[in-house]
Amino acid sequence: MSLLRTPPTRRHARRTAGTFVALATIVALTACSTPAASPGVDEDTVTIGTHTPLTGPAAAGYSSISAAASAYFDYLNDNGGIHGRSIEYVVKDDAYNPATTQTVVRELVQEHQVLAVVNGLGTPTHSAVLDYLNENGVPDLFVASGSPSWDQPETYPWTFAFNADYITEGKVLAHHAQQTHGDDAVYCVLGQDDDFGIDFAAGLTTVLDELASTQTYAVSNQDVTAQIGAMQAAGCTVNFLATVNGFTALALGTAAKMGYRAQWLTSSSGGDYPTLLGYLGEENGPALLEGLVSTNYLPFSDDDPWVELFRRVNDEYNGGAPFTGNTIFGMSVAYTFAEALARAGEDPTRESLVEALKSGDVVGNGILPLGFGADSHRAFGGVGITTVTGGVQDYVGEVWTTDNGDGEVVPYDGEAVALENEGIPQS
Amino acid sequence: MDRFVFLLGTGLARGTLFALFALALVLIWRSTRIVNFAAGAMAIVGVYVGVAVTGLTGSYWLGLLATVLAGGLVGLVVERGLLRFASARSPLSGVILAIGLVIVLQSLLGIAFGQQHTPVRAPFDDRPVQVGGVPLLSPYDVFVVVVALGLMAALRLLFVRTTLGLQLRAAAFEPEVSRLLGVRVARMRTVGWVLAAAAASLAAMLAVPKELGLNPHAADMLFVYAFTVAVVGGLDSPGGALLGGLTVGVVMSLVTGYLGATLTPVAVLALLVVVLLVRPSGLFAAAEARRA
Repeated sequence: MSLLRTPPTRRHARRTAGTFVALATIVALTACSTPAASPGVDEDTVTIGTHTPLTGPAAAGYSSISAAASAYFDYLNDNGGIHGRSIEYVVKDDAYNPATTQTVVRELVQEHQVLAVVNGLGTPTHSAVLDYLNENGVPDLFVASGSPSWDQPETYPWTFAFNADYITEGKVLAHHAQQTHGDDAVYCVLGQDDDFGIDFAAGLTTVLDELASTQTYAVSNQDVTAQIGAMQAAGCTVNFLATVNGFTALALGTAAKMGYRAQWLTSSSGGDYPTLLGYLGEENGPALLEGLVSTNYLPFSDDDPWVELFRRVNDEYNGGAPFTGNTIFGMSVAYTFAEALARAGEDPTRESLVEALKSGDVVGNGILPLGFGADSHRAFGGVGITTVTGGVQDYVGEVWTTDNGDGEVVPYDGEAVALENEGIPQS
Repeated sequence: MDRFVFLLGTGLARGTLFALFALALVLIWRSTRIVNFAAGAMAIVGVYVGVAVTGLTGSYWLGLLATVLAGGLVGLVVERGLLRFASARSPLSGVILAIGLVIVLQSLLGIAFGQQHTPVRAPFDDRPVQVGGVPLLSPYDVFVVVVALGLMAALRLLFVRTTLGLQLRAAAFEPEVSRLLGVRVARMRTVGWVLAAAAASLAAMLAVPKELGLNPHAADMLFVYAFTVAVVGGLDSPGGALLGGLTVGVVMSLVTGYLGATLTPVAVLALLVVVLLVRPSGLFAAAEARRA
């Protein structure tokens, strides 16, 4: 019993002191060896992360995006990485559930100590971590959603958008439809019953004033017969779709079954030809999709050098997975991050990464350069129009730019961003 | 009026599918007093087998047969291999095992076949017949209605007219007494699971061509709505499942058509709450005395 009350011996005390000195030395040495001392950056790797659905019902539509991005990072790493560091992309599955998103993003920031969260996917999911990332000063780059919320530099200085926003898409599609079909057409819209549908319809009505029928769908009900029937009954001839790919396919398929013919124009989020063909089948798909109008802002044509590079990377680093709009999207995000990292200096920090984007030097790989600047976190200020002709989806006509307020839709007279140095960004 | 008729037709077509799946839930409830939360995921396993068989043989009907057989087999394996070990003391342990099973099955299907939707074609024309300019039911919808009615009649015969049906019911209502009287209760439970799983696979196979396509989650929403249908109709009443299915289908269609899709899930939930408040045993449940 006396053992407990025995005071520490001198030898014991000396040993304790020695331990402290040793520890302090280790800490000091560690601090010296990494002068950058930024989270996620060490001697030879840069760690970044994302949240995306890999399981659950939403996985079908989106799980290929992070796989494509990872493949592009592997390609970069095999070619020397950025400033000699390879990029490690930690992909966390949130099953498109905002509560899970909160957990996995905290894991990324606190456990994996990521430099940045890149391409977090989804409006409801990402909204759940928007405040957390900004309060903690974690760069929140290239959110995979067309919500205009990501472009609020005053409120969310660390968040940067990637998709062309739904309002812009709506305005450009409406402008295109008006030019093509004139005032005699009956314009209608079918939209998802959330921000996506609401923002897109807002864009449409800025240009078209009035829509003859506005229909909505909920993702929980894969039957859109009632909505398509209403559009048919209203005599709609030109229909806009703010739908994800699965529901674009359902809308076109349902209309065809009902013997209802109309011109369909869809947001880029639901207008990817290979994906739609997957839903509709090789047999009926091509006939249903012929003439479908959509938008895009990324390199897209089969003979585009970017697309050729992405196909090569997809074959070599992604096991030859089906090459869809998601593949191009994921690889474009990866390229854009690499470009930002290259411009963030030899020893990048969270601050220098965001500064690089705010400088406006990061242009990406789109059909128009990225619009990032000191007071804009909006990625694409415009989109191009695509159509399906003879089973091939490609750009037609000009690229159109506009704001997400009530400004005019005007043609963009510059060039697309050219591919340089095999898609490996130089500082 | 045209619009109302159109929405009614759409709702009936949709409701029949719910009813068919709800029948499977009723079946398992009548023979084991368990609500099978894994019914959707188990059914989809059968559908994957059926679609593979159709792909190999080119015959839809062989595929449909394979779906039903595979579904039954899944029921057998799940009951004998897993749920038999659920604690009899608390109904919750069966529910939790079933939810775990959902996660495992959906992940395995995802790993094996991928998450993408595979289009599945209907064996009949799925274009609605126009009556006076209003699109009504399609030949395929009529086929689904016929299958649902046929299955219901067959189940009624089984439960009311056969010794096996009597044993199934006895084993579910009074397992102890039945055992004393020589009914092999454990075997009856297995038979109940096999029948229910086969019926659920059949329902899912018929539903898939009307939706996005085959994917590990293809029966998720079908299960949710069918569960509502079964509760609305009365968990132990096959006739209730059919009427409940049609009710839910028509309510969804009318609400979507007149009030907007956002309110549809709310309307289904409201219907569920009202039924549970006013008639907790379900609108079409059997008389009180039958509920042991």
